Amino acid sequence: MKCNAFMNDMVRSELEDIVGVEHVSTRESDKITYGVDYFWISRMWADKGQRPPQADYILHPGTAQEISKILKVANYYKIPVHTWGGGSGSQGGALPMAGGIILDMKRMNKLIEFDEESRTITAETGMIFQQLEWLANEHGYSTMHIPSCLTCGTIGGALAHRGIGIMSTKYGKIDDMCINMEIVLPNGDIMNTLPVPKHAAGPDLNQIFIGSEGTLGIITKATFKLFEQPENRQFRGFMFPNMTAGLSAGRDIMQKLKPSILRLYDEAETISIIKKIIGVEKKGSFMNLALEGDKRIVDIEMEIVRDIVAKYDGEDMGFEYGEKWYENRITFFYPGNIMEIPQMFGTMDTVADFKNIEKIYWAMKNAIESNFPGVRFIAHCSHWYEWGTMIYDRFIMDNPPQDPEEAIRLHNQIWNTGVRAAMENGGVINDHHGIGLKLSRLMKEQYGPAMQVLEGLKKTLDPNGIMNPYKLGL
Amino acid sequence: MMSQNSKKHTEACRFCWMCRHLCPVGLTTGREVNTPRAKALLLSMVDRGEKFDKDIAQAMYECVLCGSCTNDCVTGFDPTIFIREARTMAAVEDLLPKAVEEIITNISNTGNIYGVQKPKYTGTAAKAEVLLYIGEVAACKQPTLVTAIMSLLKKADIPFTVLEEEPASATFLGDLIGFVEEVRIQAKDCANAINTSGAKTVVVLDSYEATTMKQRYPEWNCTINADVVTATSFIAGLIEEGKLVPKKITGEVTYHDDSRLARDLDEHEPVRNIIKAMGLNLQEMFLNRRMAKCCGSELLKAYAPELAALTAEGRWEDVNRTTADTLVVVSPQVMNVMGAKVPSAKQIKDLYVLLDQAC
Repeated sequence: MKCNAFMNDMVRSELEDIVGVEHVSTRESDKITYGVDYFWISRMWADKGQRPPQADYILHPGTAQEISKILKVANYYKIPVHTWGGGSGSQGGALPMAGGIILDMKRMNKLIEFDEESRTITAETGMIFQQLEWLANEHGYSTMHIPSCLTCGTIGGALAHRGIGIMSTKYGKIDDMCINMEIVLPNGDIMNTLPVPKHAAGPDLNQIFIGSEGTLGIITKATFKLFEQPENRQFRGFMFPNMTAGLSAGRDIMQKLKPSILRLYDEAETISIIKKIIGVEKKGSFMNLALEGDKRIVDIEMEIVRDIVAKYDGEDMGFEYGEKWYENRITFFYPGNIMEIPQMFGTMDTVADFKNIEKIYWAMKNAIESNFPGVRFIAHCSHWYEWGTMIYDRFIMDNPPQDPEEAIRLHNQIWNTGVRAAMENGGVINDHHGIGLKLSRLMKEQYGPAMQVLEGLKKTLDPNGIMNPYKLGL
Repeated sequence: MMSQNSKKHTEACRFCWMCRHLCPVGLTTGREVNTPRAKALLLSMVDRGEKFDKDIAQAMYECVLCGSCTNDCVTGFDPTIFIREARTMAAVEDLLPKAVEEIITNISNTGNIYGVQKPKYTGTAAKAEVLLYIGEVAACKQPTLVTAIMSLLKKADIPFTVLEEEPASATFLGDLIGFVEEVRIQAKDCANAINTSGAKTVVVLDSYEATTMKQRYPEWNCTINADVVTATSFIAGLIEEGKLVPKKITGEVTYHDDSRLARDLDEHEPVRNIIKAMGLNLQEMFLNRRMAKCCGSELLKAYAPELAALTAEGRWEDVNRTTADTLVVVSPQVMNVMGAKVPSAKQIKDLYVLLDQAC
């Protein structure tokens, strides 16, 4: 939308009338802040002293009704709307690339219901996920959604990008945990998904909006499962001679048991990050596993795990490394431990079935290392299913180009190469970080003719294209 | 111009999201700028050519300096370092928010943030081994608390003195403009006044001021020739020694750990021992001791009352999830901030007042 100062003030007045004067900001400090999320390019851009992409208005709505009114105004003036939760996404999904409105959801952070009988908890989606987890913990339960961004992101952010936590192998991804949601559609209608997700009343609407990254509507309320805290949690570390043996053992474990944590590190990550943080000195492929629940069952399950590991020449490293990893699971992400600018880096997580996963690992590793001198590749598998697993592949370049525009082009070439290697070998464009701005251009390659389903939804629900433009390939 | 130390911390924090869930201001306003990473990002952009202006300066005052973020950081970074230094920059470059300027004027004119004549109190002796340092918040706003603690000292047969003209401890000025020479001079004057009294023990009523005296004064070469103890640990000690024997009181209470006592001084148990000695049933809030969510401060209330009201509401939400009907506090600042927003089904009581009634 092109508007002059006169028009800007007219629109601002309307927005202030909806949410209150104190909840509309055009402060420069806010505009800078909302222009930098966890996406490497936005951070690099700021590091080089470049002005980040900026919204015109930053709004802090307090209710779904206010959001409804905002979207009606935005549709009338055709103003882009970018929903912001914690801003901790790594894919640029929340960045206001088209200007317009930033809708910061964090004022909508209230607990709505704790239902002990159904073991569910309902809250507004602007709540930081750690707050929801603490509320569950107060009653002796857990959501079991424990991602590395637990303290950084909001409930809405976790849903919008289809997130995952470290316990997912037993308890599921966010899309398995969510029971129902309230959503404000782009036209301002406030809708609810059905009370429970398991039914035969057509497709589960939850799954249309989970992962939609603010392009189809704004999730304002959600209900999640609660789990009892396990009576017993046992860790075990194992060292395999190589990634191949570790993957085979992991597959066999998953096809018999349901560990809460199963992480397998390739040789490169074992001798770098794992050695640094938890002190494993040996070469090979390190596996960290946790089983939990009733102690009697856990004891038997651990015996089965040991038998499987022995079959693939895995060495039992005891429980200490696993416990140490668990204690340090968030330590990895603090400044000084995590990769940081001026390094160039990225996580190209992909997911596939067991038949293809190792092939994908080698294809991505070879594609990155052979095409981009000076780029390292490390990987681990951290979320497993009965049918396959994901790979958390990371590339690291210690000395990227100094020029920010040259750096962006190289960054995108690396991403295109790595992700295409995954997709060409049966992998999916992303496992749990989402698409955002970073991978938007590759969505049509991933989906092929199936993309018209998403495009059709977009066209019907958001005919003016105001919702989070340039994201998710929509 | 920021120091190298501040730059080290801004560079580390600018792209780190890990502690945002603990910021008492950010949790209630929901604004991204009310997170440590946003403040670091803004200052790092200033270091890269962005103009440090009134808007960015204002953002630096939307913080209680409660240290919750610092306490969380496993790699040892401390946002309060660069926030304080940014406040110094704001003062030097004439970019202070108007409300902050007014408080600095009050301190300059009267020695306290309220700009009033500080009430005078007298101890049991002109000279004594124990000096009670009352502090400006208790002296000006919580006379009942002062009366209660003095009564307790008398009941325990502890002769004590107070300074006739009690100087400011430099705590509030340090929070407003950072640790600059003017602050050190104020601290020096306070240390000198305490030393002149000849006391061997200084009992400090306000944990903010106890923190300054115990942790900052040595850094600033402002030596106090006496033991500096918090009022809570001193009173708990009197109970332990049998000098105060409280009667049992029935009731269920919860307790708010104020941030400087719990985090900076790492003192949690003396208060709980006092509560236990009175027989009260203490129901802990989920976030307690070092993890306690800050309720705001008297200084924040003075220059940004709307923010202090929000932070207080945020902590009352935690209180409301307990079954206790009474919130017990020991800080005059907490009493003022939380006391202004008491929900209808709850009450707030000062621990010294309760203890005085029980002894």
